[in-house]
Amino acid sequence: MWLPLLGLLIGIGIGSALAFPIPGAYVKYLSVAVLAALDSAFGGLKAILEEKFDGTVLLTGFFTNALLAALLAYLGDRLGVDLYLAAVFVFGVRLFQNLAIIRREVLTAWLQKRHLSSTGGEKNG
Amino acid sequence: MKLKLNKWQLPLTLVFFISGILLVSVLRSLAASDQTPWRQKNANLVAMIQTQEKVIARLEEDIEQKRASLDSYQRVLSRGKEELQNLQNILQELKIWSGLVEVEGPGIVISLDDNRKGAEVAQAKNPGQFQAGDFLIHDKHILYIVNELRVGGAEAIAVNDQRIVTSSDIRCVGPMILVNTTRLAPPYIIKAIGDPDRLARVLGMLESEYNILKMAGFPVNLEKHSKIVIPPYKGSYQFTFAQPKEE
Repeated sequence: MWLPLLGLLIGIGIGSALAFPIPGAYVKYLSVAVLAALDSAFGGLKAILEEKFDGTVLLTGFFTNALLAALLAYLGDRLGVDLYLAAVFVFGVRLFQNLAIIRREVLTAWLQKRHLSSTGGEKNG
Repeated sequence: MKLKLNKWQLPLTLVFFISGILLVSVLRSLAASDQTPWRQKNANLVAMIQTQEKVIARLEEDIEQKRASLDSYQRVLSRGKEELQNLQNILQELKIWSGLVEVEGPGIVISLDDNRKGAEVAQAKNPGQFQAGDFLIHDKHILYIVNELRVGGAEAIAVNDQRIVTSSDIRCVGPMILVNTTRLAPPYIIKAIGDPDRLARVLGMLESEYNILKMAGFPVNLEKHSKIVIPPYKGSYQFTFAQPKEE
């Protein structure tokens, strides 16, 4: 259960330790990629809670979304259109949706659990 | 159940791991770069404050220097005032010495007059040998008496209110006596400031001019006073030939 959290912490640790410099011009694209990555991470959490999890979908979605977001932002810069705003919008909205669903799922699970414990061992499995 | 856990754990851990790396990298590079607007603004403000602080420091130094110089000026000024006061004191002293100031103090007043009674008597008794000059007060009498007063320590002397100074002359012009180029007529009043007793003692000595006149029957008189006022010398000092010797 705690493995993903551990992974996050290790990632943060390695990111801090490596500290590979990103040129100022690419920080914007990377920011969008981070948004996509977070979206995927929360999407994965949501999928687990909804019991629809698929590792392949998650991983492909994670990498392609991040890459696409960065590429779109870059393309937008080339074209002179702020396309990265589209990525920010999309991933932002999805982040909020995922977080809302996660919250609801956790809440219902918790309420169910409490209900079960209060009724006292009457569950059938 | 365990299999299901394994199924989602690894991919999710990977996703979280990479997300962590990306997140931290972006945050770090954003923090490292000075290109964020608020950072730039901060830097500008810091630079501005630093320049202002430097300016303030310079101005404070300036104030310090100005205060120091003001202090020194004031010191010089007060020293100048002191010097001025000293010079004025010296000037006043010199004026007193040269007789340019009205002075007062204890002293004696001598009055001399021609011996008219003696002259009449002598003329009546022996007209052939009568000499009018023997019964008159002459310039030398006054000159001698002035000299004796000086011997007695007189600090200021006046004859008929003509102050006797270093350049004063006392001489005879026909029937008149000239003191400081002012003609005097009898009776002659000689005032002298000094120790009255000492002055009187000097004048009372046997061979003194005053005593000789008294013995000869001239109407002379001597009075001691506790306060005599002697007027200043009204003439001028002019040095045409004498110059201070250059050292």
